Amino acid sequence: MNALDKESASPHGNRDAARPTNVLIVGVGGQGVLMVSKVLAALCQSEGFEVKQSEVHGMAKRGGSVFSHVRFGEQVWSPTIPRGEADIVVALEWAEGVRWLDHLKRDGGTFIADTQRIVPPISFRNRTRNAASAYAPETPAEVVALVGNGFALDATSMATGLGDRRVANTVLLGALSTVLPFAAEHWLAVIEQFVPAKTKDLNRRAFLAGRDWAVSAERVPAAAATDAVAQKVTARAIETAPAHLLTINEAWCKGCDICVKMCPERCLSLNARMVAELARPDACTACHLCEWLCPDFAIRIESAPAVKGAS
Amino acid sequence: MAAEGIDEFDIRDYLRTELLPHFMCPGCGHGIALRALLWAVHEERIAKDQLAIVTGIGCSGRVGGYIDANTFHVTHGRPLTFATGLALARPDLEVVVITGDGDCLAIGGNHLIHACRRNLRMTCLMLNNEIYGMTGGQVSPTTSEARLTTTTPYGNAEPTFDACGLAAAAGAGLVGRGMTLQTVALKNLIREALAYRGFSFVEILSDCTEIFGRKNDLGSSPEMILRQKGSMRPDFYGNTVEHPFRPNNLTTGIIARNERPEYGDTYRSEVLAPHGHGGAAAGVSAPVE
Amino acid sequence: MGAGQRINLQGNHACALGAIAAGCRFYAGYPITPSSDVAERMALELPKVGGVFIQMEDEIASMGAIIGASMGGAKVMTATSGPGFSLKQENLGYACMVEVPCVIVDVMRGGPSTGMPTRPAQGDIMQARWGTHGDHPIVVLAPSSVSEAFSETIRAFNIAETLRTPVVLLYDEVVGHLVETVQVPDPGSVARAERKWATGAREAFQPYAATDDDIPAMARPGDGYRCHATGLTHGERGLPTQNPAEVERAMQRLLGKLERHRDVIDRFETFAAEDAEILVVAIGITARAAKRAVAEARRQGIAAGLFRPVTLWPFPEQPFRALAERAKAILVPEMNAGQLSLEIERLSGRPAKVARINRLSGEPIEPAEILKTIEELARHGR
Repeated sequence: MNALDKESASPHGNRDAARPTNVLIVGVGGQGVLMVSKVLAALCQSEGFEVKQSEVHGMAKRGGSVFSHVRFGEQVWSPTIPRGEADIVVALEWAEGVRWLDHLKRDGGTFIADTQRIVPPISFRNRTRNAASAYAPETPAEVVALVGNGFALDATSMATGLGDRRVANTVLLGALSTVLPFAAEHWLAVIEQFVPAKTKDLNRRAFLAGRDWAVSAERVPAAAATDAVAQKVTARAIETAPAHLLTINEAWCKGCDICVKMCPERCLSLNARMVAELARPDACTACHLCEWLCPDFAIRIESAPAVKGAS
Repeated sequence: MAAEGIDEFDIRDYLRTELLPHFMCPGCGHGIALRALLWAVHEERIAKDQLAIVTGIGCSGRVGGYIDANTFHVTHGRPLTFATGLALARPDLEVVVITGDGDCLAIGGNHLIHACRRNLRMTCLMLNNEIYGMTGGQVSPTTSEARLTTTTPYGNAEPTFDACGLAAAAGAGLVGRGMTLQTVALKNLIREALAYRGFSFVEILSDCTEIFGRKNDLGSSPEMILRQKGSMRPDFYGNTVEHPFRPNNLTTGIIARNERPEYGDTYRSEVLAPHGHGGAAAGVSAPVE
Repeated sequence: MGAGQRINLQGNHACALGAIAAGCRFYAGYPITPSSDVAERMALELPKVGGVFIQMEDEIASMGAIIGASMGGAKVMTATSGPGFSLKQENLGYACMVEVPCVIVDVMRGGPSTGMPTRPAQGDIMQARWGTHGDHPIVVLAPSSVSEAFSETIRAFNIAETLRTPVVLLYDEVVGHLVETVQVPDPGSVARAERKWATGAREAFQPYAATDDDIPAMARPGDGYRCHATGLTHGERGLPTQNPAEVERAMQRLLGKLERHRDVIDRFETFAAEDAEILVVAIGITARAAKRAVAEARRQGIAAGLFRPVTLWPFPEQPFRALAERAKAILVPEMNAGQLSLEIERLSGRPAKVARINRLSGEPIEPAEILKTIEELARHGR
């Protein structure tokens, strides 16, 4: 079934005309958060609404947190959405979606998120190998159950399947279109203004894929947390820091001191015979730097057999 | 740390371990470069039996002997010529040339530019340590200006060669530069070079600690390796020398691409095929009876 | 041998066709007069048999490329002339040391240096033997006709492959550019020797083992042996060594292996030599002039004879010594200042009885000139 033929059930269609609709779009740098908000703002404007769009992206280089507020209605005064008053949160990255959940309306808010995880280095506060990261632990199923109207879709994989992972944001626009009272062809007309000419067809297919997915997901809400998504989330849930083994082949070590000085944890030292030894085994995080930089292949860090292949 | 679907890399699987410890000096970067190569070989799933390593003369030339593969330690400056014959006769082999700055740019310079021009599939790794280490520390075509060597006792007055610029200008299919300090990036660069269908050239910044380092008072092995990258010199080492070891703002990664037909493919399709010979990987060695 | 065909051929082209017939499938070369015809013919012929021709950037590279291809398992050849031969010498020494079969053609022209590129000479006799540094084994074949340029090239390949050694095919510019009618056999009827390849378990294999015949089996890349080849002095495992006993053993085997296989290597031609009192020794085009002179001398009743080493190095000592003993005088005509005569003086036992005709003008030595000297030797002795 084509999503264009479908009369979309729009929870925000019959809204109070006096009150603006608040859409918060979040993600990380490089994903196209601003493209999503520009499309939405332009569309709302062309549909006769007053629109305010405000975004924070100046501090976000590629990979950093980016968010954009879009408010539209008969009359809009404030440019930003107060906490707890967003009608819709669109998240292009999973943890960003979780981070902004408190902005969503308690009752009847719509949450649309890509389950794609972009794990920032800072979330690895425990540097021990295979240690659990501080990345958002909430599973899509949990979040979907928490909010009034939840859509957790693997938009990035869908986009990749269509030929270019970069159209994941358009997939999300497709999903978003099902909860707003604008005709699909109007969405597509605006999207085409904002994408390169040669990707028009691709973006159209991405939009329709997202829209199709959201329409069917709404009927069967459980489908939002697909098996694939669940697997993705559990795969990282290795909570224990597994043992590793650092061995030094004394016969091969020439005492060049590189491992000692390059170790970020300062856990190696040269002994009286000018051979490297692991002086502080507890401090070793198995970062491998010493192994990689040893010109004599004297250092080897081995995962314990139990955790081999776990990652 | 294993790449997807591959066993964890254990360098000992790729070494003639009975020959270790190797004969290189403490802190010599060539060992790290060798690790990066073998790691890349592992991740590219190249079988040791199909790997042919051709090396020239000098410290870089001795690196090959430690590899558990088909290794050819040939004459000074000529590894590219031997490799050309080998790769043309045996397109089924993965041919890797390991050479040095003197081997590749001085005595073997002519072979380098023609190998780049020809674009026959092989990977050339040039270990650049700015010195003739094996012979005791003479000036090389990449020795930085003003540096002391046994043959520039008053400081090197000659300008240096930009090996990557040379290779790119001569038409090498893939040109890159890596440094031993960034082992993982170097490994990934070598992976690209190995996978490239054509002539790929990788310059590897490697440290000669015992000879070049001592002569120029460049500090300990860790200090030297840290100098490869200007921004990565921690304050606690201080500035033990007035100038960096070498220009430490050199571009790394892929420097140039010249997409051109691979010479072996062209020879087989344009010269052999019209005579009814030369399948995709036809070699000219006789089958074993 | 099959019926083959009779055709007019130039010496250099005969060499190229001989190489193809012998199974040569890789040629790397660099243009140089007067050998370029070999390269041109190889460029034409090799693709027809699925082989590879490549013109390299220089002479050194050509030599490197053929050694590399041979180590990969191909039968290989290159051709050059004096200046290029000089450039190839270091890599030639590598092939001797690592025991890589290969054939190097040196078409001799006037030297030293650039000399006379289009003029014949025989000045590379010693370079062919001692051109590279250090003691090394080498085989040098010296054809004197177009027919032999063909057949000796085949023999060069067979010796190279059988004994794992470089073989130099040494002939002068006259032989190279001479056109003669020759019988060329069908390629299929040519007897080809194949290299001894490593077989059996990898663990038990030693790339330079002292085998019964002193010829180690070669490990072909890809067959699972993963051996090391190095120009450094190496022991039986192929790894560099400076252990005096190991070095001595390795070098004695290397230098002794040709001596053990004289039966494969030695070849010479004699003409009226059995009872010769004046024995002429010559190679290449000079030997053909000498033959004519000897025939003429015999007609005059002079007991002259000819000894022509077809294998020049190692010199066929035993057969020559037997003839030299009987001779009252030995005459060595050659197109150089005296190179072959040095070896003949050494082997004759009595250097005083060795007379020379030397030619440096870039012209061949004529039969009349040799005959004149034979007559003088017959009259006055030596």
